Amino acid sequence: MFRPLIKALIILFAFLGAGVASAELVVIVNARSGVAAMTRNEVINIFFGRNRQFFNGVEARPVDLEDEDPVRARFYRLLVGKELSEINAYWSRQVFTGRMQAPLRLGSTEEIVRWVAANPGGIGFVELPRADARVRVVYELRR
Amino acid sequence: MLSYEGGVSWRGRRLRIVVLMLCSLLAAGGVAADAGDSFSINGFGTLGAVRTTTDDVEFVRDLSQARGATDHWTAKTDSVLGLQANWQVNPQWQAVAQVLSRYRYDRTFRPEMAWAFVKYDPSPNISLRAGRLGTEFFMLADSRWVGYSILTVRPPGDYFWHLPFYSIHGADAALALPLGEGVLRGKVFYGLSRGNIPLAREQWDIRRSPMAGTYLEYQWGGLQVRASYANIRFRNDLPLASVLAREKGVVLPAVAADYLKTRGTRTHYYSLGMVYDKGPFQAQLMLNHIDQGTNALSDSNAGYLLLGYRLGEVTPFVGYSRVRSRNIANPSLGNAAADAVATYVIEDSRAEQSTVFAGARWDVARNVAIKAQWDGIRGESSSLFPYRKDERARWGGRMDVFSVSMDFIF
Repeated sequence: MFRPLIKALIILFAFLGAGVASAELVVIVNARSGVAAMTRNEVINIFFGRNRQFFNGVEARPVDLEDEDPVRARFYRLLVGKELSEINAYWSRQVFTGRMQAPLRLGSTEEIVRWVAANPGGIGFVELPRADARVRVVYELRR
Repeated sequence: MLSYEGGVSWRGRRLRIVVLMLCSLLAAGGVAADAGDSFSINGFGTLGAVRTTTDDVEFVRDLSQARGATDHWTAKTDSVLGLQANWQVNPQWQAVAQVLSRYRYDRTFRPEMAWAFVKYDPSPNISLRAGRLGTEFFMLADSRWVGYSILTVRPPGDYFWHLPFYSIHGADAALALPLGEGVLRGKVFYGLSRGNIPLAREQWDIRRSPMAGTYLEYQWGGLQVRASYANIRFRNDLPLASVLAREKGVVLPAVAADYLKTRGTRTHYYSLGMVYDKGPFQAQLMLNHIDQGTNALSDSNAGYLLLGYRLGEVTPFVGYSRVRSRNIANPSLGNAAADAVATYVIEDSRAEQSTVFAGARWDVARNVAIKAQWDGIRGESSSLFPYRKDERARWGGRMDVFSVSMDFIF
């Protein structure tokens, strides 16, 4: 007689789990940066270090996550369809030719929100529910 | 411990300077870490093995290597270890030093300072560097030894082996400009070249030869297109007289020596590169033309096409590359002996071959890739320039090359 209840709970947890794991990812900037929205290519240009300025001249300071955080892999898969090995290969080329350094890596998306809120040029990626009033959502990653 | 022969040789001293510089960078980083600046040490490396199907010629990665692979497996050609220190003093200033150990012109793996420079960014999209710098003669030329950053075991040889130049003592300036949804990027560099190019048992000293170059590229989404130009004015002649005397027992006539001089001549490098990299698909198309100022080396056209498609952790790839000599000099020096010697030397700079290659990269663990590759080189028996220790009488222009490698970054 508990079976339907257990079944319902399993389905509920499965939904919740899926909800957290696949929460929509968004790109956030500092609320005072003056940037309201960005296109996918503009986001790519900033995160790959091709362009280091927002349209208004403010220096962009992207932050990234450690490889261990599954959000990192999901972000790059959604943004450019690339695996982390390809992203790391790209940065190894930039770093070892002395062209530029890879973005700062933080430990969690909570830290990203805090860092972006504290740095005028900060730009990072987080799960949508984490984006609060201290930051502004400028791009939503869609499948 | 790093060691050297023959007491305090110039090389030994140079190595000590390298080590000292690294140590001071390390020390500086330790102090700076307190001030909130960032200091990091990273590295890259490759363990590679390669063999061919002939011992008529020796297969090299590029002309900076004195000896190459034959029909026995060798780890010399592709193995490399690099260590880099980066000190970000503040958002504008950065210091970078890289030590590299790989098989080189003097048949050793002696570590050398590959680059050591200071970088200043007066504004976010302008970058100025000065010191010992890598040169981007052609697209991807300055990351040739970072195997982890590329799909193939080594950059396509028909395109890259005539580039033995790696670094300059000089300066460069790069400017990035957002244009539409893409970014336009330009760079200029000038400096004095470094290094030696092996020629039989001798060295062609290209140190202090002035080099200058520029490129313009546009990058939009997954597409990157670049046009580049560079030139070098050689400061020294090829060591032809001693090579001919030693290897062939032939005296180089003065009239031939003058005809074959490289000193004071300028070589021009033109290239066009296109990279398309989107999702699991990547493609590269590169073309170059080399216009030699000397009669001793023939002009050439080369190019390659590389296609790769990632399937999970494995990325199979196929490619085609080719190189052809152009405007081969026909000496007429009014002296049969001189003509014969000059012709012999000029013939040595011929490249007439095509290569089909295929392989796969397997990203086996985080920051580690394993690769296997086959190259089918199909050329003329006159194609001698790409190789070392050629047996002209036997060499038929065809060989297969088998390579395996493990690339890593840390």
